[in-house]
Amino acid sequence: MRHLDLGEADRLLWLLTPQRGVLRATARGARKPGSKLGGHIDLLCYVKLSIREGRDLHGVSQADTVDAFRGMRTDIGRVSRGLYMAELAQQVSVEDAPAPAVFRLLVNGLGWMATTESPDALIRWYVLRLLTITGFMPEFGSCAECGNVLEPGDHVFSAERGGLVCPACRSQGSDVLHPASLGTIKVLRHLARSDYPAVAALSVGEEERRQIERILRAHASTVLDRGVRSSAFLDEIRDWPEAGPVPGGLHRGS
Amino acid sequence: MNSNTTPSAAPPVARLIEAFNRLPGVGPKSAQRLTYFMIRMPREEAEALAEALLSVKDRIVLCSICLNITESPECSVCTNARRDRTRICVVEEPLDVLAIERTRAYAGLYHVLHGSISPVNGIGADQLKIRELLDRLRDESVTELILATNPNLEGEATSMYLQRLISPLGIKITRLARGLSSGADLEYADEMTLANALEGRSEIVIDREASAG
Repeated sequence: MRHLDLGEADRLLWLLTPQRGVLRATARGARKPGSKLGGHIDLLCYVKLSIREGRDLHGVSQADTVDAFRGMRTDIGRVSRGLYMAELAQQVSVEDAPAPAVFRLLVNGLGWMATTESPDALIRWYVLRLLTITGFMPEFGSCAECGNVLEPGDHVFSAERGGLVCPACRSQGSDVLHPASLGTIKVLRHLARSDYPAVAALSVGEEERRQIERILRAHASTVLDRGVRSSAFLDEIRDWPEAGPVPGGLHRGS
Repeated sequence: MNSNTTPSAAPPVARLIEAFNRLPGVGPKSAQRLTYFMIRMPREEAEALAEALLSVKDRIVLCSICLNITESPECSVCTNARRDRTRICVVEEPLDVLAIERTRAYAGLYHVLHGSISPVNGIGADQLKIRELLDRLRDESVTELILATNPNLEGEATSMYLQRLISPLGIKITRLARGLSSGADLEYADEMTLANALEGRSEIVIDREASAG
């Protein structure tokens, strides 16, 4: 999930494991070119590890790659999204607490990120699913304030209140409200109840896409109580065109 | 580390332990070992060490061209008239320049980025020396850019980022070969290294005249 250089040639790793949640472990000599560990313990790799338990830090004694998601690693747009997914997974996990559902979601998510035609749809689905399996699914069926079933109308989303708010309740409180059109609400409900392959081909309009992203980000940062550092890089790369010159880049005559 | 971890140490000793503990890769135990080694060190050696530390801080600057660490406004590589000025090798850290220089296989110029893009650690492209690289590339004498970032996800992301920024300029962009390291056992190679080595395999050309002779 994350690593830091340690000593001469060692590496300190933050690992996400199904059995023990986040584990910190050192990989001795992993930065040397001939290391048996180095190639297996890069970021965003699904790896089988043998861990030697230590008092403060554990040690990695063996590593074997299960899936390095090569299709993701060669595309900077997919890498930026994969890092965002991993950081979110790390933020909802804690040390020494089992996290099998988060682990499985991240492995499946990175696998799809390596091949999907619609990486942004995957991110939207992943964030919502991660919030759901960790018990923070926003309320999309009824008003988060009064509990009444939502009828078509001028609804808004409140991250502080944890879901959609009906027109009658929207003026209560001083929280930030995000617009949520009927189309946005339909897409959010569909994302919440479907598996990824079923939503991969879902066509979402530009306005709905913007609303959904604002809603999911607001909800995630409220739940996590901190920002997601990799989102800045994701935003920068996402604004780039598929091909050709990019903002701030060089071109003939510049 | 705070003073609670060394309750019995005299204040100057605790201060030195704390100072060592701030260095990368030095934990509390190593910091204590280094401190007690220093205490036993002859005074002249301690003075030489302190002088060396201050001299690094006082006299070292970044080369105004390649941003490598140097004692003068421009480093010895950038001022060397025999270096090939049509090639720039981009590296993450000043130590990478030393590693490539040791090979004696490269005679071009360098550019030191001072890091790699690391979104999870909050390091973006604007915190690296990328703008300075783009300024250098406006000089049309550069014909090849060699991306020598580390062969890990963050190094690769940095390379891909640079490639997207620079490719419209039409400069040849290359990167260091990926594959098996000399002396390694194939069975321990990870799948990415092996796949890269297979993709970058090269033909064995037999010099028939030489073998006949």
